[in-house]
Amino acid sequence: MENIKMTNEPLLRIVDVVKKFGEVAAIDHCSFDIAQGSITGLIGPNGAGKTTLFNLITGVLQPDSGHIYFKGEEITGKKPYAIARRGIGRTYQIIRIFPKMTLLENLIVIGKGRERRVMERAMELLHLVRLDDKKDEYASDLSFGQQKLLSLAQVLMLDAELILLDEPAAGINPTLQNELMALIHQLNEAGKTFIIVEHDMSVIMNHCQNAIALNYGQKIAEGSCSLIQQDERLLEHYFGR
Amino acid sequence: MKHSLKRKQVLIGLAILMAFLISVPFFATDYWMTLLVLIFIFTVYASGWNLFSGLTGYTNLGLAWFIGVSGYVSSLLIADYKLLWVFAWPLGALFVSLVSIGVGYILLRIKGVYFAISMVALTEGTRELIGTEYLEPITHGGKGVPFVAGISLPVLYWSILLLAFITVFICYKITSSKFGLRLITIREDEQAAETLGIHTTREKIVAFVMSAFFTGMAGAIHFTYQNYIDPSFGFNIQLTLTPIVMTLFGGVGTVFGPLIGATLFTFIHEILWAELTILYMAIFGAILMILILFFPQGLLGWMKEKGIVPRIRKI
Repeated sequence: MENIKMTNEPLLRIVDVVKKFGEVAAIDHCSFDIAQGSITGLIGPNGAGKTTLFNLITGVLQPDSGHIYFKGEEITGKKPYAIARRGIGRTYQIIRIFPKMTLLENLIVIGKGRERRVMERAMELLHLVRLDDKKDEYASDLSFGQQKLLSLAQVLMLDAELILLDEPAAGINPTLQNELMALIHQLNEAGKTFIIVEHDMSVIMNHCQNAIALNYGQKIAEGSCSLIQQDERLLEHYFGR
Repeated sequence: MKHSLKRKQVLIGLAILMAFLISVPFFATDYWMTLLVLIFIFTVYASGWNLFSGLTGYTNLGLAWFIGVSGYVSSLLIADYKLLWVFAWPLGALFVSLVSIGVGYILLRIKGVYFAISMVALTEGTRELIGTEYLEPITHGGKGVPFVAGISLPVLYWSILLLAFITVFICYKITSSKFGLRLITIREDEQAAETLGIHTTREKIVAFVMSAFFTGMAGAIHFTYQNYIDPSFGFNIQLTLTPIVMTLFGGVGTVFGPLIGATLFTFIHEILWAELTILYMAIFGAILMILILFFPQGLLGWMKEKGIVPRIRKI
């Protein structure tokens, strides 16, 4: 399969983005497009700039140069809350939920609109991630894997179109991991677009249509997963061959 | 059914308590009335501090700035412009609220201990400024402002009772609202809140200004009650620390913690001071240390944890 060519506007467009920490370029002239409805794996060794890229897309960090477009609108330099409200949600590598709030509170605080509708939606999502029987417990009382599910439910509460997941499968048991990946596919079929950072290559190969490989902040490969698996340069960098 | 019955009982209990408190000036001595006035003033201070700091986790060490600025504005209006107290108090509180918008806009970008220190600096700086001879024509400088507001003790008592009631009621409404939850997300994880679409800077400023208004109102009443204000009195660090200790004592981030803290704290303080004048600070310190060691979440927080009261935000 050739690289997927989009006729429509890409959902997310990264154009020549640079982010330096001191003299080190964490992201070095990086450009790529994310198509609506895709699941893209973002791979690369530690320190390649994957999380930095997420921070740039969500406005947690500001790029030194370059542009980021979401649904055709430039979002470079916008505040995180403004970007989130436009429809980009994310989870963190280190889970960041609201520990001393109940599960239900963790969700309703994000919801917009009529109180009853927000409550219904929160309950639906808790049911979806199978945490509805724990709705009145503090989020800090959940297991690590359950906290990851809650974190995903929060992003869904935001009703994000583009969802960035930072190592969703890391540190959780295989059963929960399978459930989580099944949920991601289910949401993808319902129209959500995903970018997934993951160290476990089998997760990327089994679940993503496309992959983008980063090293030293540069994009070193991009394409369908099967194609990327055969990329010499990537193999050299990433697998040390 | 059971729930609504309980609610009814609580409301009846509350009505009886309020009726009792309203009738206090008709039978109580001035001593008891002044003790209650102090309790209510500090209830508002502590609730005002808790409304912002208890919910957002931003430790405000400049509560005395709210109190002093509003106290000065209202005291000067009464002393020099012969304004009636009923107008001077809200003008003082409105003034400090308006200035707080600007202060919040600048200082609420600073996080953690740096925010706390910057509020101390603001308080000390304002105290110095008001005491300078350059501003003496307006502020009376370091000499202070003695004044008589022409308000009787019962009227002052009813005023502060009303303010304390309104403040606690608003805190109750906020803590159990979505606005309150948004403030708590700032305490829990501000960056996560932002990437989930919460405009944390705006929420912080709104809470900060509300805190300034209620605390400022109580400050204006406080100095009317004292018939005097000067820079070291109005911006005293004790006015910041005491309400914080009261809140820690009662339960940070709870609705009734500051009220419970202010009430118990004032009584313990009064008894120790009257009975053991020489040792009172030492004993007081020991009690505080024990509380912080064994009840770090405060009395109400501890009761919620033990299931003595339900673990809900409305308490």
